[in-house]
Amino acid sequence: MNTDQITQEIREVNLACLMLAQQLLRTDRAEALYRLGLTEEAAAVLETLTPAQLVRIAAASTLLWRPRVDDELVWSLLASHSRDGSAPAALHASILMAGRAGAAVAA
Amino acid sequence: MRQKSVVAEARQIRIATDLIRLGARLQVLEAETTLSRERLLRLYKELRGKSPPKGMLPFSTDWFMSWQPNVHSSLFMNIFHSVNTAAAIEPVEALTCAYRLYSEQVALLGQPAVLSLTRAWRLLKFFECGMLALARCTRCAGRFVVHAHEPVRRYVCGLCHMPSRAGRGAAALH
Repeated sequence: MNTDQITQEIREVNLACLMLAQQLLRTDRAEALYRLGLTEEAAAVLETLTPAQLVRIAAASTLLWRPRVDDELVWSLLASHSRDGSAPAALHASILMAGRAGAAVAA
Repeated sequence: MRQKSVVAEARQIRIATDLIRLGARLQVLEAETTLSRERLLRLYKELRGKSPPKGMLPFSTDWFMSWQPNVHSSLFMNIFHSVNTAAAIEPVEALTCAYRLYSEQVALLGQPAVLSLTRAWRLLKFFECGMLALARCTRCAGRFVVHAHEPVRRYVCGLCHMPSRAGRGAAALH
């Protein structure tokens, strides 16, 4: 992958995320905030963006969304579930991730 | 209390409809809406095509402590807290929203929704009156449902320290 391809892929992912975020916020706000991991304030701004603005914002060298999972424990639980379908591992990962969403907002 | 405003009543009906669709018992509807018992009964029959089940609701904190219910209750409580802190919504709306997200998540994992909406409501009531609380596991740092006023300094959750029979027996996970 060369640099042009990388930035193009990132732009497409960003644009898809932004459009999905706007759609989710219009469908069910409370649910959307949880799914997206956004604060009410950030969501209020995001909602007002025009398609042209979304396109401009999407053109960036980094992804706009940060991973919800950024530690070894949750990743290994997810990996374990994906490898052998371990239900306890999947539930454990779900609990930790659901808790993380709240912690991020409260911080 | 009589509802005079039609808009307010429409809102109450929407809340009751959400709760009934998610499987709430009549007691939950009576506690969470201002609609009369007769209206709730009619609404219930219209949506479900049958009368609501009779009898008392389960009233015990112990159910939430056994392994599988504890895992599911903890997942629900974590979602509920996230929803409740992120969005400025009424508690009953946070309940239905968190319950939908909980059912969706366990369904995606191919698991049964062990926690019913009525149990989830009961769980929140136990939190409100200080009988149950969330404790942080000292190993994974996740938050889990425990009896309030229990020593939690060395608490280890049921997923970090799985009991040997967990997930087997009648309520098998697999």
